[in-house]
Amino acid sequence: MPRWGMVIDLDKCTACQACTLACQAENNVPFSGPEQAAMGRSIHWHEVIADVKDEHGELHARFIPRPCMHCEDPPCVTVCPVGATYVDDEGLVRMDYDVCIGCRYCTTACPYGIRYFNFYAPEFPEPYDQHLTPGVPVRPVGVVEKCSFCIHRLERAKREAAAKGRELTDSELVLLPACNQACPASARYFGDLDDPESTVSRLARNPRAFKLLEDLGTEPKVIYLGEEKN
Amino acid sequence: MTKLSRRMFLKLAGTGAAATALYALKHKYGILHALVHTTQGPVLPEETLVPGVCRMCPGGCGLVARVVDGRVVKLDGNPLHPSNQGKLCPKGQAGLQALYDPDRLHAPMRRTGERGSRQWQTVTWDEALSEVVARLRDMRAAGHPENLIFLHDGQGGPTADLIARFCQVFGTPNNVAAPHYYRADGSPLAHLLTQGWAEHAAYDWENTNYVIFFGGAFLEAWQPLPHSLRAYSRLRRGRPRVRAKIVQVESRASITATKADEWLAVNPGTEGALALSIAHVIVRDELYDAEFVSEHAFGFEDWTDADGQTHTGFGTLVLREYAPDNVAHEIGIPAETIERIAREFAVARPAIAAGDVSGCKDSLYAQWAIHCLNALVGSIDAPGGVLRQRQPPLADWPAVEPDEVASNGLAQTRLDGAGTARFPLAPDVAPALAQGIVAAEQAPGALFLYHANPLYDYPTAGWDEALARIPLIVSFSPYLDETSAHADLLLPDCTFLEKWFYEPLAPSIGVPAVALGRPVIESLYDTRNTGDVLIALAKAVGGSVDDAFPWASFQTAIQNRIEGLFHAGQGLPMRDTFDEFWAEFKARGVWYEPEYEVGQWNQVLITPSGKFEFYSQTLRQALGQDDDEKLLPHYQTPHFVGDESAYPLHLVPFPLVTTGQRWSANLPWLQETYGLHMQATWENWVELNPDTAHELGIQDGDLVWVESPVGRIQLRARLWPGINPHVVGIPEGQGHTAGGRYAEGYGANPNALLVLEFDELSGECTHRATRIRVHKA
Amino acid sequence: MDSAALDKHAPIYKPLWHTGRRFWVWVGILVLICAAGVGAYVYQLVTGLGVTGLNRPVLWSFYIINCVFFIAISYGGTMTSAILRITGARWRLPITRAAEVVTACALAIGAINIVLDMGRPDRVLNMVLRGRFESPILWDFYAIMLYMVCSLAYLYIPMIPDIANLRDSFSRRKRLYTFLALGWNGSKKQMHRLEKAIDLLAVFIIPIAVLVHSVLAWLFSMTTQPMWHSELMGPYFVMGAIYSGVAALIVGLAVLRKVMHLEDYFQPTQFNNLGKLLFTLTLVWLYFTGAEYLTTWYGQEPAHMAVFYAKTSGEFAPFFWAQVILCFVIPFPILVSRRLRTIWGTVIASTSVVIGMWLERYLIIVPTLTRPRLPYGIGAYTPTWVEWAIMAASAAAVILLYTLFIKFFPIVSVWELEEIEQ
Repeated sequence: MPRWGMVIDLDKCTACQACTLACQAENNVPFSGPEQAAMGRSIHWHEVIADVKDEHGELHARFIPRPCMHCEDPPCVTVCPVGATYVDDEGLVRMDYDVCIGCRYCTTACPYGIRYFNFYAPEFPEPYDQHLTPGVPVRPVGVVEKCSFCIHRLERAKREAAAKGRELTDSELVLLPACNQACPASARYFGDLDDPESTVSRLARNPRAFKLLEDLGTEPKVIYLGEEKN
Repeated sequence: MTKLSRRMFLKLAGTGAAATALYALKHKYGILHALVHTTQGPVLPEETLVPGVCRMCPGGCGLVARVVDGRVVKLDGNPLHPSNQGKLCPKGQAGLQALYDPDRLHAPMRRTGERGSRQWQTVTWDEALSEVVARLRDMRAAGHPENLIFLHDGQGGPTADLIARFCQVFGTPNNVAAPHYYRADGSPLAHLLTQGWAEHAAYDWENTNYVIFFGGAFLEAWQPLPHSLRAYSRLRRGRPRVRAKIVQVESRASITATKADEWLAVNPGTEGALALSIAHVIVRDELYDAEFVSEHAFGFEDWTDADGQTHTGFGTLVLREYAPDNVAHEIGIPAETIERIAREFAVARPAIAAGDVSGCKDSLYAQWAIHCLNALVGSIDAPGGVLRQRQPPLADWPAVEPDEVASNGLAQTRLDGAGTARFPLAPDVAPALAQGIVAAEQAPGALFLYHANPLYDYPTAGWDEALARIPLIVSFSPYLDETSAHADLLLPDCTFLEKWFYEPLAPSIGVPAVALGRPVIESLYDTRNTGDVLIALAKAVGGSVDDAFPWASFQTAIQNRIEGLFHAGQGLPMRDTFDEFWAEFKARGVWYEPEYEVGQWNQVLITPSGKFEFYSQTLRQALGQDDDEKLLPHYQTPHFVGDESAYPLHLVPFPLVTTGQRWSANLPWLQETYGLHMQATWENWVELNPDTAHELGIQDGDLVWVESPVGRIQLRARLWPGINPHVVGIPEGQGHTAGGRYAEGYGANPNALLVLEFDELSGECTHRATRIRVHKA
Repeated sequence: MDSAALDKHAPIYKPLWHTGRRFWVWVGILVLICAAGVGAYVYQLVTGLGVTGLNRPVLWSFYIINCVFFIAISYGGTMTSAILRITGARWRLPITRAAEVVTACALAIGAINIVLDMGRPDRVLNMVLRGRFESPILWDFYAIMLYMVCSLAYLYIPMIPDIANLRDSFSRRKRLYTFLALGWNGSKKQMHRLEKAIDLLAVFIIPIAVLVHSVLAWLFSMTTQPMWHSELMGPYFVMGAIYSGVAALIVGLAVLRKVMHLEDYFQPTQFNNLGKLLFTLTLVWLYFTGAEYLTTWYGQEPAHMAVFYAKTSGEFAPFFWAQVILCFVIPFPILVSRRLRTIWGTVIASTSVVIGMWLERYLIIVPTLTRPRLPYGIGAYTPTWVEWAIMAASAAAVILLYTLFIKFFPIVSVWELEEIEQ
């Protein structure tokens, strides 16, 4: 069984946010407007985190693209009272929008802050409703949502491959999620961490590799490659 | 002669499994579908992939639209386009919201209330056009066709060509480009002076080892941006064991600066001094490319002219005046740093110096000095260096024959003063147009606006008065903006996903490319391709104007031009007949040549001397004078507007990746990702150095007034560590008063603070030369 | 027992037969406040949780705070009736029932607040149909239900003899009292069974109570969030619950004493002893709080210190130091001194404690949420009228339920008092 993971090379990343925008478009993520945005309620399945520090007058800035980590030991799954979020057998942390009761325990338990809540029913005022992607459900009010590693694309790809009687190849997987596909710096990779020869596995062995909040033991499956400085 | 092969070409060949799948699909669906399917995930049977061109900024990247049931559901880059190679920047991704904009114009409109009251009534195309035609005919009949002013976005392409053609055959010299001036690369005139072509350059980023950017925001505002972003990636990790070094020189830290290895926070307006000082070190330590300088450069050594007069060479000048110890204090960085950077730059060859230092008086000299660094290290038209973007061999437009009325009109002086003694070099000076209109003896007859918005983009001084003098204002924009809100007639263009056009590649990779734009879906509303409207207007005006527009439609016109690509026979796709070629071109969405040949000096150095001119004879001719100091790059303490004691800080307006010259501001997705490094959404801000803020008693998040000698705006103050303490930065793109519900009323427009002043040489409005003061609201 | 008892304990029984204007005004006000809360909730239900001040990252606030707060209030009853019963403290007899009613009412409202917080209350049955026992919320769900059932039983069963007396001697509501009396006839056998049942419940309800508030604490401490993930949380919450419960009880008793003229029943002894208990808990609270903050500060872990400073010197400092003053600085000197441990003294100390303990829950929940580990920026939270209305309605509902109880049943366990006298 594949174990899906992602690698993001921060030394190639230009912090352009094409990944965030592509995800908004692909996954029918609504915009929230200025008042809701000011309250921090904007939904961004994918977000670029700006880690800006003033160190004795010197600027230290790092920009980290952040999808869901699809942890192997996800704190969100443990605390969900109704099993609306769960880990499937390929390592994806899934959401069932029909079961979620909106208690937001998963959102408070996630140390990465990757989960978002629908405070209102999401709106796609006309004519924005024209560009909704088929195959990705529009979520209802009162449920939590998050990055799915573009599971709709993954399932589509698996079906196509199965119809041809073969497995998915690594090259078909690398740019499969919308964020990876959109990255102009080709800084992102997706694939099977259980295949030692896959791009993500090879890159995960790179000495620059690190994970966010690794010491919390969540075992995230998004691996970052650190920046260097000349 | 060395050949510089395009990696893109190699990439398409691919590896085993992918190539097999590619081959099979390619024959069934075409190569574009095949490529997308195998590299980006399968295409559903109900989806259609339609190639097109993104026009969210002037970059013109090739795109692929996913269309389901006549709806566009996703935009991505065209993997076959050599410049963006399957990618779009975030503005491109937000193109869906530009197409399905709830505030788009649905049909031609005529003003019913006062000008600017924004009261409109829908009219038919026939009604609207006949009104315009009547006015045009009147101007011709009265013998004053020069009273037509055509203000456009300066972005090239077939519509711009037809606008120029129309103006020429109609008889007006007032064909004025009005671009956004937060362009990323202020170098065209520097290239004109040194190499003979007034264009942006192309760069071989992927093979260079060291880059010094002077301003420019490479990762945010360059166009086409996906190319720059890929270039950054390749610079860093594209070659095994080679990681290019990037140095960013600017007074505030753009995101580019945070990504650079070193950021030099120079004092505003001193970038030219830094470039010249780097040149000093390179010349002093004999680190320059002697072969290039002796064989292909003019004016480096001292020289004597035909009249026996000696002239200072560039080498002598920099050695004499720009030692690091002399200028370090004014620039604001240590002399040791200048020494070190200069040495690293020269030794690391190939190396590139680039950027945009426009916005101050005499900034052209600074831009020129920067480009001279490229010549010093042998980077002119070399691998890892500065190339000349080749133009595609499109078939020529048929010759234009202006009649007598037109010829008389064309002989008149341009209202913006471009090409006159005031602005000898600049092809367009749109910010000066208002003054010109107000001062003109005769009131202009009509103003046509094509995606030009001077009331927002430029200091507003004089524009109200100017517009009041013009009896007919027509706008072709699909959106209502600050300027078109004052129009009498709105003749909305289609968006780039609803019309036929082509886009020659903007300067980026050197090889020529042409991308084809088409209606990806049927027009949503009763809009018309402005190209078709021009043809209709020309036909209705009649006479020689009509003769110059012989095509049945704009689509026919561009198809005729595309034939030139077929006949030149040296790019991809290549086919035996034009019909096959056109079909394949449409299927792929792009034509390009795969290889760039370096060292073709007759195409790259077309100056009077045929060499790279450190001493510019072109400038000498334009200025009509002989003062050596003015004909070599040099540095003067910049002139800033505003009394220093009253206005102690410098204003630096800057673009963000979510704004750079974008076509529309009514994009909520971009509003919600607007200011990444400040985590700011739906508003802009003013960046302050923390120490400066502390002195002023301002904390992060306080509302403040930013005042200049001509205006003031209210913004939220944000602290930005390390920004030069004398400088404040304000991102542009907010403070709209028109454009749609998601654009209007957010933040403030920094252009409202700018004093209307010019760098006469470049014709640029000095947008970085205004002093301001900041205090708590 | 007979109707003589009804006359003897007239102040207790008066509300059962006399409904004055004061009552209607009082109930009217409470009903209005409850209606406002209901209206606010309907608005929230129809529109979405966006009408509250909740945001990202502060996704839990008033509803969760009030849930914990009201459930904690219920501990006053458990403490007095169960623990004091087991230790055989005689002085508790007049106040046991009044205390247990607090438990029942506060617990119900506390539990309802959880449902008010849900984004999809229409799916609440999923907790039963698809409940996952790995989740602390499920433990909460069943623990609170168990505690509610046990508390109601523990309230109801000792009431049976008094209900039987009403059935026999009171002229109204015969059918209600007959039904509820369950055929009580006062026989020795029945009395024996009753005493046994009460003894059993008293023993069981204590661990259940400890479990409930521990589980509520573990809701937070089972996550890895800074200053939530603490081993102390369980005991801290339990002791805090008893603390605020006893304090609320003191205030409630004082009000009842005044309004119903129960001076003979709720005597200075009760307040003095409860006050001594409260005093012990003041010290315990100080100890736990001190231990929590001292160990956090000593460890200097950045993520934890961000929350620490937010509370002690940041935007939450006014609330933090108010909490310290209200939970310790005011109650301690009052409760330590015998002279000041009067009814008034304990009421002042208790009011201070109740407010301080509400602030404590606020300070546990919100500051941690405003300081996420990743650099998203600092969150903030301001409640809207919806949350204030619902909080006011919650308090009003508790008091309303209590008032209704007094209308129908004796607030003091008369038969137990009579038994002691005999």
